[in-house]
Amino acid sequence: MGYEALDFYEVDSLLSDEERMVRDMVRDWVDEEVIPKIENACREGVFPDEWRVALGEMGVLGAPLKGYECPGLSYTAYGVICRELERGDSGLRSFASVQGSLAMYPIWDFGSEEQKNYYLPKMASGEWIGCFGLTEPDYGSNPGDMITKAEEVGDNYILNGAKMWITNGTIADLAIVWAKLDGVIRGFIVEKNDPGFSAPEMKGKHSLKASVTSELVFQDCKIPKNRILPGVKGLRGPFSCLNNARFGISWGAVGAAQACFHSAKDYAMSRIQFDHPIASYQLVQNKLSWMLREITKAQLLAYHLGQKKDSGDWIPEHISLAKMNNVDIALEIARVARDIHGANGILDEYPVMRHMANLESVKTYEGTHDIHNLILGRYITGIQSFTRGI
Amino acid sequence: MNIAVLLKQVPDTTAKINVSNGKVDENSVSKWSMSPYDEYALESGLQMKEATGGVLIAIACGPERNKKMLTDAAAVGADTLIHISVDGILDSIQVQNFLAAVIKNNEVDVVLCGKQAADTNAGSTGPGVAEILDAACVTMVSEVSFIENKFISVRPSISGTEKVSTNGLSVFTFDKGVSELRRPNVRGIMMAKKKVIETIKPENLGLEGSDSERVLLKAQNSPPEKEPGQIFEGVGEIPTIISKLRNEANVI
Ligand SMILES: Cc1cc2nc3c(=O)[nH]c(=O)nc-3n(C[C@H](O)[C@H](O)[C@H](O)COP(=O)(O)OP(=O)(O)OC[C@H]3O[C@@H](n4cnc5c(N)ncnc54)[C@H](O)[C@@H]3O)c2cc1C
Repeated sequence: MGYEALDFYEVDSLLSDEERMVRDMVRDWVDEEVIPKIENACREGVFPDEWRVALGEMGVLGAPLKGYECPGLSYTAYGVICRELERGDSGLRSFASVQGSLAMYPIWDFGSEEQKNYYLPKMASGEWIGCFGLTEPDYGSNPGDMITKAEEVGDNYILNGAKMWITNGTIADLAIVWAKLDGVIRGFIVEKNDPGFSAPEMKGKHSLKASVTSELVFQDCKIPKNRILPGVKGLRGPFSCLNNARFGISWGAVGAAQACFHSAKDYAMSRIQFDHPIASYQLVQNKLSWMLREITKAQLLAYHLGQKKDSGDWIPEHISLAKMNNVDIALEIARVARDIHGANGILDEYPVMRHMANLESVKTYEGTHDIHNLILGRYITGIQSFTRGI
Repeated sequence: MNIAVLLKQVPDTTAKINVSNGKVDENSVSKWSMSPYDEYALESGLQMKEATGGVLIAIACGPERNKKMLTDAAAVGADTLIHISVDGILDSIQVQNFLAAVIKNNEVDVVLCGKQAADTNAGSTGPGVAEILDAACVTMVSEVSFIENKFISVRPSISGTEKVSTNGLSVFTFDKGVSELRRPNVRGIMMAKKKVIETIKPENLGLEGSDSERVLLKAQNSPPEKEPGQIFEGVGEIPTIISKLRNEANVI
């Protein structure tokens, strides 16, 4: 049976015609090109290169960015794209999030005119892949204390240090690397063939298997001076990128939840136990109606946040709440859906266990669930509780 | 070259169809789509447009919702969008007259459409329009190209396939074509949004007597309910199965 996205409150009727057309384009592509291939991609642990090409051809990379051959869509449209991609797989959405919000966006917002003209068209078309290096082995939730550093030597910067958990790292043509220059965090563009740079892949993931995750290693990595992002200093740089990516994730999680609901409902309707479909039992109905309830709320959150993003009337805490809530319920929905599928739930014939495992990463990256709690706690009380020193 | 593609909006193949009072309940159709054979016609039209530097005119006849389909056609490259605005079920001859009139008014060189629509499966539109326009008509084609002032089309024949050459105004009805309809992209969607749809009321087409129905749809029925399947378990059931296959299903 074809995929019919759960939309109980018809939230999508609030989208513009253009946003709906973009949705249909991405949804059809996911149906035709992603769903049939995703399990194999996961088993082999690869991100199919044809998906990069297709995303570039559809013109959805860097969706809300304007100019420099970028799509120039609304943030709401960007959200819709993330939702449709993540209905397929969180790894696919990760690829698009990193490319658009974490690699293209900092060049677009903080880059020089020359950098924008050189990199953005190639990245919007998918010809060049970008990655974003913030996290280090010893600094995850606390990136401000990062060790990676840059030194000015003649006409170059010399980078030393290591990044970890970097999505797209090994397949990337360029990396946006955050490193300290004279103790201040700055962004640098490192290209894949720069001397002293390597990006070995991290293997053995049980989650986001169709997404490439890598280390970035800088050993006296030499880059020309014009590769620094001139427009930003300090944590505001990476955090602005993360705000946009987290916004996309708050929509993406809805897609994963919709996929799990769809599968659970179909399965419950057709699986007979004790002479009747399991969907006819109150306990199962309770699970399905809870999913409906949470997905509907998450859709409304995502949509309203999209409107706020588009009007410019938003604060980072709004995004924290939506990222935290929507990933949280999506993960729980995936777990309950897995339960409804019984033993079949662990097979790759059904998408639920894959989504469940993926969402564990999504819960952790882009600010862990609890880091967002702390952000909201600080917002409510005015007291930061990330660390003990006040 | 002016290339007209006739597009019909039909219930999506995945949509559930409800029949009440001898009529398909259109309001209950959850999703409307471009008829699949029309998609092949549109793709072929787009390729011809690219090869000849022509103009692609997409024409649809039906209620307001057809506008979405026309905008979808613009998103993949249709240049001119014409909506013949009518409500309710139309007589097939009326539709052919409306389409032919619009084709005439737009100095069209070639007309492409599906061999039949996925809802009615009548297959009358292409040949009907050709008849009214006094045009050459080749049915069930899989590809059409414009070579040295002639249209060369490929269709099935008794020996496999045949190539047909036509000149002057020609109408081609598409079976499954060689290439699937291309996917739109964001740039196309943004351009399509700006495109104006020309809406024409049938009464402004200057046709006389076109409001008199000649082909009348009397009633529509749902297909009969399928009998529930039977499940047999264990080796002991094999004779029963064989007997049923032989005597009830008549397949062995
Ligand atoms: C698949 C995947 C892809 C990724 N892609 C990228 C990428 O492209 N680029 C990039 O830079 N990073 C990426 N990351 C890294 C990700 O952003 C980090 O994993 C995340 O920030 C958490 O850091 P950590 O893993 O070091 O966990 P830690 O920070 O060590 O946290 C461990 C636990 O401690 C909790 N915790 C931490 N501090 C506090 C506190 N003050 N109070 C209470 N609880 C606390 C956390 O909530 C968590 O539960 C990726 C991660 C994964 C899994």
